[in-house]
Amino acid sequence: MEEDKPIKIDKWDQNAARIALDDAAKKAILELDYVENFHLIDTRLVICTTAVLVALVALLWDFLYPFPESRPVLILCVVSYFLLMGLLTLYANFCEKNIFLVAHQKDPVGTEPDIVWTLASTMIRFDKNYTLTVTVKDNSEQRTASFTKCVGEVFDENGVLLFEKFQPMVMGLHNSIVSGKKAQ
Amino acid sequence: MDIFSDLRRLNKRQVYFQVLNFAMIISSALMIWKGLMVTTGSESPIVVVLSGSMEPAFYRGDLLFLTNYRADPVRAGEIVVFKIEGREIPIVHRVIKLHEKADGKVKFLTKGDNNEVDDRGLYKPGQLWVERDHVVGRARGFVPYVGIVTILMNDYPKLKYAVLGLLGLFVLIHRE
Repeated sequence: MEEDKPIKIDKWDQNAARIALDDAAKKAILELDYVENFHLIDTRLVICTTAVLVALVALLWDFLYPFPESRPVLILCVVSYFLLMGLLTLYANFCEKNIFLVAHQKDPVGTEPDIVWTLASTMIRFDKNYTLTVTVKDNSEQRTASFTKCVGEVFDENGVLLFEKFQPMVMGLHNSIVSGKKAQ
Repeated sequence: MDIFSDLRRLNKRQVYFQVLNFAMIISSALMIWKGLMVTTGSESPIVVVLSGSMEPAFYRGDLLFLTNYRADPVRAGEIVVFKIEGREIPIVHRVIKLHEKADGKVKFLTKGDNNEVDDRGLYKPGQLWVERDHVVGRARGFVPYVGIVTILMNDYPKLKYAVLGLLGLFVLIHRE
């Protein structure tokens, strides 16, 4: 299922670099057999889909009952659409916050609740540094760790991501905050 | 190619998200247009001047902003945009004569500033006056030259499809 070919990007494209690193970090964590939780992404998809549907309703209604009879429906649709856009912005700023992975570490015995791992990343525009933040929520405790690396440390001159170099970095970060309860 | 390897890494959700992104851009443009329609009261709040019949006031390619408030009466001397029954394209000309009844019903005659004769030749056979219902709106502001893009896209439809196609493709492929 997973493509094992190394990721290659245009080395001057900062956005592609960040996305490639996000994808690699995601792969590293999911290789530990954690289950990905799509709740965060799905909520965003639902908000966006609703907005598009509202726009479609407006389009269709105006087509069937030409302006000005469609005025009330159009006002409703336009207001709803911009409210949804506002909601999406709030959601992105307060809920999503650069998080690109939420994964559940299932208890092998099945008695204890899942441990939730969260990965978030930031990269300042025109800056070569990539910052990865791992958060683990274990019952009521929450621990965070992060590192900042220059992209030059994990990409070679052709723009190929060196997963063998990057994965240990991610694992190191993961292991620094993993729960001490499990057998060492 | 690098672009396609990037795309192949997308899972189902991310593919849907790319498509949604594209749909949202179109929806936003649509909603802004409908919003303008509702706030100006005009079914076509922005029009492009297509002919030189209103020179030197408006030239071909100028973009006009219209409002169509029922409360504002049409007056002689104002520039109105109206549609003739059976014709899709609205006409941008000046009102030169106006008859008004006590109940507010108006009939007016239009003429392009740069034309020799009034518009009766353009009206529907048998129609001598333009009425309030034919009016799309009154010109309230304009931006010169910008509309040339629309004229070009209409004269060369292939250009329109090429530009829109490329923009669409770019949005679909570009992540975040």
